[in-house]
Amino acid sequence: MAKRDPIYGIMAEFDSAQALLEAARKTHQAGYKKLDAYSPFPIEGLAEEIGFHHDAVPLVVLIGGLIGGGTGYLMQYWMAAVDYPLNIGGKPPHSWPAFIVITFEMTILFAGISAFLGMLALNGLPMPYHPVFNVPRFAFASKDRFFLIVFSSDKQYNAVETRRFLEGLEPRTVSEVPS
Amino acid sequence: MASRLGLETKDVVELELDGKKAKGAIWIQAGHPDHSVTITLGYGRTRAGRVGTGQGFDAYAFRTTAHLWTASGLQIRKTGDIYELASTQGMQSMETPNGATRPLVREATLEEYKKNPNFAHEEEPEVPREFTLYPNFLYEEQKYAWGMAIDLNKCVGCNNCILACQSENNIAVVGHEQTLLGRHMHWIRIDVYYEGDRDNPKAYFQPVPCMQCENAPCEVVCPVGATSHTTEGLNDMVYNRCVGTRYCSNNCPYKVRRFNFLLFQDWETLQYKMMRNPDVSVRSRGVMEKCTYCVQRISERRIDTERASVIEGKEIKIGDELQTACQQSCPADAIIFGNVNDPNSAVSKWKAQSRNYSLLGELNTRPRTTYLAEVKNPNPELES
Amino acid sequence: MPEQYKSSTEIQPTPVIAPGHTFGTVTEKISAIVLTRPATNGWFIGFGIAFMATMMMLYAIGYLFLKGTGIWGVTIPVGWGFAIVNFVWWIGIGHAGTLISAILLLLRQSWRNSINRFAEAMTLFAVAAAGIFPAIHVGRPWLAYWLFPYPNTMRVWPQFRSPLMWDVFAVSTYATISALFWFGGLIPDFATLRDRTEKRWIKVIYGMLSFGWRGSARHWHRYETMYLLLAGLATPLVLSVHTVVSFDFAIGIVPGWHTTIFPPYFVAGAIYSGFAMVLMLAIPIRKIYGLEDFITLRHLQNSAKVMLATGLIVAYGYGIEAFMGWYSGDRYDAFTLWNRLHGPYAFWYHSLLACNIFIPQVLWIRKLRSSPLALFLISGVILIGMWLERFIIVVVSLHRDFLTSSWGMYYATRWDYMTYFGTIGMFLMLMFLFLRLLPAISIFEMRTLLPEAEVKE
Repeated sequence: MAKRDPIYGIMAEFDSAQALLEAARKTHQAGYKKLDAYSPFPIEGLAEEIGFHHDAVPLVVLIGGLIGGGTGYLMQYWMAAVDYPLNIGGKPPHSWPAFIVITFEMTILFAGISAFLGMLALNGLPMPYHPVFNVPRFAFASKDRFFLIVFSSDKQYNAVETRRFLEGLEPRTVSEVPS
Repeated sequence: MASRLGLETKDVVELELDGKKAKGAIWIQAGHPDHSVTITLGYGRTRAGRVGTGQGFDAYAFRTTAHLWTASGLQIRKTGDIYELASTQGMQSMETPNGATRPLVREATLEEYKKNPNFAHEEEPEVPREFTLYPNFLYEEQKYAWGMAIDLNKCVGCNNCILACQSENNIAVVGHEQTLLGRHMHWIRIDVYYEGDRDNPKAYFQPVPCMQCENAPCEVVCPVGATSHTTEGLNDMVYNRCVGTRYCSNNCPYKVRRFNFLLFQDWETLQYKMMRNPDVSVRSRGVMEKCTYCVQRISERRIDTERASVIEGKEIKIGDELQTACQQSCPADAIIFGNVNDPNSAVSKWKAQSRNYSLLGELNTRPRTTYLAEVKNPNPELES
Repeated sequence: MPEQYKSSTEIQPTPVIAPGHTFGTVTEKISAIVLTRPATNGWFIGFGIAFMATMMMLYAIGYLFLKGTGIWGVTIPVGWGFAIVNFVWWIGIGHAGTLISAILLLLRQSWRNSINRFAEAMTLFAVAAAGIFPAIHVGRPWLAYWLFPYPNTMRVWPQFRSPLMWDVFAVSTYATISALFWFGGLIPDFATLRDRTEKRWIKVIYGMLSFGWRGSARHWHRYETMYLLLAGLATPLVLSVHTVVSFDFAIGIVPGWHTTIFPPYFVAGAIYSGFAMVLMLAIPIRKIYGLEDFITLRHLQNSAKVMLATGLIVAYGYGIEAFMGWYSGDRYDAFTLWNRLHGPYAFWYHSLLACNIFIPQVLWIRKLRSSPLALFLISGVILIGMWLERFIIVVVSLHRDFLTSSWGMYYATRWDYMTYFGTIGMFLMLMFLFLRLLPAISIFEMRTLLPEAEVKE
């Protein structure tokens, strides 16, 4: 990327979730690919409309769970049957039925932590500063307004054209987002 | 007599004999002759250390040269007070309040024994050794497999074994208040069970040390592995690993495990260094303890025999000369300890008898301490 | 906002959220409690009492560490007393929070949205209260960390076959997953609070807690995935945690403990007591903070129905235990049953049956299911009953087991009571703080309940 554009993007504000969804669809169909949409609650189908198709969180969770289960079982096996086997009540050192419980709990533990950290990592969070916070109206994105932004890095982006296009979608306001 | 006088156990009564008076709490003893009271001498001391001072009342007041051992003309008056007498046993009957009886002490008359030598195994057949999901640990292949047999015919309930064990293993005396709560620390105890008519009961005595179960329920539930099994069959209690969850005691069906709920041992009195057995750890607060088959004696004997083997150039094994403290002190020779892997040892011969049974054997704990059931030959004239 | 819902005796079902709200009003109402509403005298008095109770608990624990577990009523044969009863009671209470958050989410029950936040908070505080007991009840609590498998100079490891070890992992996992689920759910709401407050330092704190959340659609998508997956993980977790707790008893050989009915019976009992606690919290909270529009009668009624259902499962558990006591022909199990009915603790067993089985049957009456006062009182009765259940299981089974010579009694001491009521104080203290500092209802999930939140393709 060349020198940073002083304008991060152009953002349109909408009153309803339906309006945002339709606006996003139209914008994407118009050829704009570098988009984002902001809402105070998850809107079904919105992510697909702006071109997001591959969610990696499930894979992260699966891998986390497998690591957890494997670690849990191998830990118990190694500790009880290899490193320091003891005769406990006549039970065999490799008491696999007894090991199931902790293996299960470790699977869930690792999978859950992976889900949380994976979501944060894939989302690039924590990110306390982001250019959209420079727009004062954006505070309503966490309350009751819906925003659509076209990034200046989009190929089709043109300061005037894009703004006119967004105004054509009948938003509440249109703002320039400084970087 | 007690019901005639309207007395119950723990009632404080005032005794008067020839003008001398004393107050004490009563214990109604099953089988005690009517119209009589037994008083124990030796209590009521004023200078007997931390534990002995002020316990009970001084009965020497009633003792005169003319009446050294018995006297008559005692008067008893109820005072209305109650004194909580501490007993270490919960219930003294094998019959539970719902009318069922538990075969804890098994007995038969001589006639019954002759007809059915296997009487001790009838009601609760023991679980066969092969009846297991897991491969058995091959204790038979070890040099030693420690076991104990207690002949219930011989035990008279004298409590010598308890005292010997206490001295040998540095067991703390917890005192009256703690015993009331059930926190006495005896590693071996004698369970007394009465059966039949209260005035003419049958009494059974059953010494209960740790059973050293091969399938010890206590070992499985310890989260830190403070109790585990040796190759020789001992259930080891590792004091310094114990964090004190007390799950092992909960899971022990014999309740032979005792816990140091408070600091029961006296760390301050210097003379106790002379009293205590240096071969046995003195336990601190928060750890579980129990009978170890006098493991310190086993280890000492093992070292001696190994040394002797080297010196003499041939293998010398531990034999019947090794005795646990309880065995050594029993005046009736009711307890026998030894190597069950040696078919010629005394304990193996005892265990080979048909009278031999495991306490709570149906739980499949496979205890190494077993009992020889009582066979009585009562005089028919006395029975009526 | 006046209560606009119709009474439940009419045909229309009570709504999940009172009509007439917008995204804005929902946000305002919930965040105002945290950001603008001043702390009332009532809050200070309540918090003060709870704080004093917490101090009492710390005093009791301090004396415990100084002297030893002998200050409690535990003895041989009853090696476990109030501490373990309380531990199981608290963990059980926590399970309702996870059920509401996770299981009701997977079952698409939208009524969970207004109660899941404080129910999860309740779970975390209950697990915190529960976790105190295993640590302090051991004879040498300064060594309790030996239950964790860490490499050490002694070259030894914990013994994994013990149900107490399973407890360590299960409860730790449960605390962690609940915390992550709860905190994850709070992230978008922290963003709301960040954007709503004017004070700079509060904005910074909520801003940091929100991780810079901006509500991007891509982020929401991954967030929803995480949320659903955590719910999917938490569901078997909540079932397994109380199963593992029940294994503390079921794996033991003690008559009255060693029974296979325990895992489902304990889990059902946990949900039972948990919903009772949810109601005992929700009913005052909705009244005091004016949240009846969000926690409507429908929530109370549904909770009552869940309690009725789980109560019946618990009743079945009691019934089958009693049946097996007779049917098995095992002399020890038969006596255990007899002892519960006729022994020294029989009064408590009969109280248990009254509190857990008989009294809650009034929930079949629709009018009582819709009365917050009745539900509050019945929930209190159920909580007492569930405590008594654990007491009967732990103490009454232990005090008379195999050998009659070992039979004994258990009497709780003042230190037992001080510790127990102290944990209740600690729990309430944390709840008071939670209500002041964090949104008690999930704001973003409440927005999804409004009709405007639905989009057509």
